[in-house]
Amino acid sequence: MNLVEKKLLVVLDCCIGCHACEIACRQEHELTYETDSKWCQVMTIKPRRIRDELHLDYFPTMCVHCDDPLCIQCCPVDAIVKRKDGIVLVDDEKCNGCRVCVYACSHGAMSFNEESQVAGKCNFCLERLEYGIEPSCVQHCIGGALRYVTKEDLEEITKGKHTAFFGKVCYASSKWKLAV
Amino acid sequence: MSKDNILCKRCGTPIVLPKNIKDILSKAEISQTIKWDELLHLCPRCRAQTFAERTIGGDLQKVVRNWPLPKRRSEERKSIRFDKRMGATVYKSQCYICNSGCDALVYEKEGKVIKVEGDPSSPITKGSLCCKGLASKEQLYHRDRLLYPMKRIGKRGEGHWQRISWDEALDTAAERFKEIEKRYGPDSIVLATGTKRGTWCDYFMRFANAWGKQFTSTGWAQCAIPRQLAGLMVLGGYAAECPDFSNANCILIWGTNPANNWPHHALSMMERWAEGIPLIVVDSELRETSSKADIWLQPRPGTDAALGLGFLNVIIHEDLYDKEFVEKRCLGFDELKARVQEFNLDEVEKITWVPKDKIREAARLYATRKPACLMHSCAIEQNADTISSCLATVMLTAVTGNLDIPGGNLFPMFKDIRGRGDLEYTLRQLITEEREKNIRGSTEYPLLSSNACMLYPSAHNATLWKTILTGDPYPIKGMYIHACNLLVNVANSRQVEEALRSLDFILAVDIMMNPTVELADILLPATTWIERDEVASHHQASYNAIQIGQTVVRLGECRTNYAIINELAKRLDIKHMFPPESDEPFFNFLLEKIGLTWKELKERGGYYFPNVYKKYERNGFNTPSKKVELANSKMKNLGMDSLPRYLEPDESPISTPELAKEYPLIITTGGRVSIFRHSEGRNIPILRDLMPHPLMSIHPLTAEELGIKEGDDVVVETPRAWMEAKAYLTEGIHPKVVQLPSHWINEYNVNMVMDNERCAPYIGSAQLRCQLCRVKRKK
Repeated sequence: MNLVEKKLLVVLDCCIGCHACEIACRQEHELTYETDSKWCQVMTIKPRRIRDELHLDYFPTMCVHCDDPLCIQCCPVDAIVKRKDGIVLVDDEKCNGCRVCVYACSHGAMSFNEESQVAGKCNFCLERLEYGIEPSCVQHCIGGALRYVTKEDLEEITKGKHTAFFGKVCYASSKWKLAV
Repeated sequence: MSKDNILCKRCGTPIVLPKNIKDILSKAEISQTIKWDELLHLCPRCRAQTFAERTIGGDLQKVVRNWPLPKRRSEERKSIRFDKRMGATVYKSQCYICNSGCDALVYEKEGKVIKVEGDPSSPITKGSLCCKGLASKEQLYHRDRLLYPMKRIGKRGEGHWQRISWDEALDTAAERFKEIEKRYGPDSIVLATGTKRGTWCDYFMRFANAWGKQFTSTGWAQCAIPRQLAGLMVLGGYAAECPDFSNANCILIWGTNPANNWPHHALSMMERWAEGIPLIVVDSELRETSSKADIWLQPRPGTDAALGLGFLNVIIHEDLYDKEFVEKRCLGFDELKARVQEFNLDEVEKITWVPKDKIREAARLYATRKPACLMHSCAIEQNADTISSCLATVMLTAVTGNLDIPGGNLFPMFKDIRGRGDLEYTLRQLITEEREKNIRGSTEYPLLSSNACMLYPSAHNATLWKTILTGDPYPIKGMYIHACNLLVNVANSRQVEEALRSLDFILAVDIMMNPTVELADILLPATTWIERDEVASHHQASYNAIQIGQTVVRLGECRTNYAIINELAKRLDIKHMFPPESDEPFFNFLLEKIGLTWKELKERGGYYFPNVYKKYERNGFNTPSKKVELANSKMKNLGMDSLPRYLEPDESPISTPELAKEYPLIITTGGRVSIFRHSEGRNIPILRDLMPHPLMSIHPLTAEELGIKEGDDVVVETPRAWMEAKAYLTEGIHPKVVQLPSHWINEYNVNMVMDNERCAPYIGSAQLRCQLCRVKRKK
């Protein structure tokens, strides 16, 4: 199957909060410190006491490639497109640096590159996909939380588990009833 | 942009809203999945956090954790030489950003390293690499790299340097060392090194032995020696260091956080965990690894030995031990049985603060869900009796019969490659009785500093500083520091600094400027892992692989560790060392007995020893009795208590109740984070960005009592000194404990406040996990 048609599965159970995905992403897309731009971030949900048990969770975030992306609707120069395979892409050349998309994204996934002065975000490492290899965050994920899988595999893996689908990303947990 | 700036509702940073915000909102309103009110009130970063919190929610509905996850991409083990996508040459190498030694690929294009990635063909890492490793390029090209030999031109520590040639640097160093030796005697020069990377420490020991000098390290008494020595004495090998996660049916993690600092271990652990295998974690704070635990035991810091004895008590008295294995393969069981009698769970609960039911549940699970593997690390090596806590964890693998079986703990397969056990390599026989006597600490801490130490007989830090400062029993005037940030990484930093400043001459080798090398007279630039060849087989990386490092580029005039040391050896007329021109003869020497050469190994991309389980069936265990010695003969012969016992920390609410009134909190330190390795990495901006400040973990109730809020600057005082940090409020820590991150510099250096006077018996570990402090908000 064509790699670009796969989905990103985030098995929240398996995220160990190590930040390998973040740095893998920054390296792959040359998001140096100076760009102040991050396409992938791991959030920490601090220890919470629920039903007399402490829970500490980690939550990787990146562009989920929404089904109906607000960033596309808002972009004044049509620099953002959703491809047939669902991948939402920002065109560097067309972007005028107005940052409207940054404010339009409720996931905080659109990131402004302070060096190149254009918006950018996760593209599932399209260049790698086209070359036949999985996204860098997926390859380097130590806990095995990030998986780039076919629709069929995704269904199989998440059977009986809690899931939350957003565009091309599916979050899954064996613990938390996830909210969409 | 509109002028009506608003502040982010979560973090308070100003948000500049675009002019057409209304337009965006009207579009957002029609989209049901978007909580449009957030757009107005949160900055982009807080939106990601809010998204995470909203999605995960608080509705706990546990289902079976058994993920049928596909295996990772793992190619045939062949070297990829060229990457068409990037047009780059690919070098198969081994990442030494820390000492985990993960397989890695380095991509080079037109003489520049453009990328460092995990190696998908590696069965050890399966393509993964941690954030530090992925940032290796940032270290390689860092502006603070040392690239040329330099000499100090101002006062010591003033920061004025002048570039000199290698010849001048080495000649000067050799000359100064010779002068010092002539004037003050052979013991007036000491050596120091840091974490093992590759076979480095073994080679350094060879050099020290060939030169006839003692050497010290940043902290082997606090990391590595107690647990590995306990393994050697009881099991006759390093099995307790090599958990076979992939085949285990139960995993016990004790005093370590592999998610943060043993990435390849974390990978196999998580693979198995995701299949539903139960995980038991002993950690004083709810952190990355303990957050995954099915049973999390939160002991009072420093009480691991008592907890270990509690485990053994349950296992022995409930008859859960492996009778056949114990009868046939172990000695000293009755003595152990008598000892654990003293540690009934009521007693253990009182000491450790861990509820006895939880201890029982964990011990039963570990002993009965076979095969089970155990991983332990340095948290148990920094308390009042470190050898005891290590003996206890090490023997758990034996009494449960989990030794050298698939899914248990495995003895490494490195029989034929030369390593620290090979006298021809380490030249340990050159440490004569007379020399041994002069190693500082050899009388008080024989398991660390005398020939009784089966790893590296090395000088005891605190004893050494005192000798330097007092000249008693002999003067020490010169020091050769190779890759070792003593000023940051060793307890009682003030004393360390005073000692170093009092020396006549310091030669330092490092890859970057740091507080320690700033005190040097001559500075030599070493290569980072990307700039050197390496042959490494060590059980922290893999239990059966020889991995290779390859030179990809070379910056400035830096040289490999081996070359530097060999150049020095040549000038000091030290025998037994290798020619400085190339590291190859040395690598060939390492590989000699396997019948491989460096060139062949490089061509193959590494080497795997065939897997053999239950190796003890053939020749027994590598102990004097050829059995597992639960009451080990080594310590017995030295007149020591050879069984694990429990000593209360020298400073604690129990041993020093008066002091505890003034200093009511237990300070524990040394917990690793994933983004930095010891004192390294804080100058790499993309890593530092993830943790700009040292964060002190404190329970919200304790913080409230003290008037401390999240992110407040705090002052931590011990009876010795003070330091600063920022408050991180977490329910994951006991209200009577604060956790301070280690390895930060200046006023954030926790080693400023830690005592190094009272050390663990026999082995001299500083009690870094369990001292007393008080905390207040910084005014």
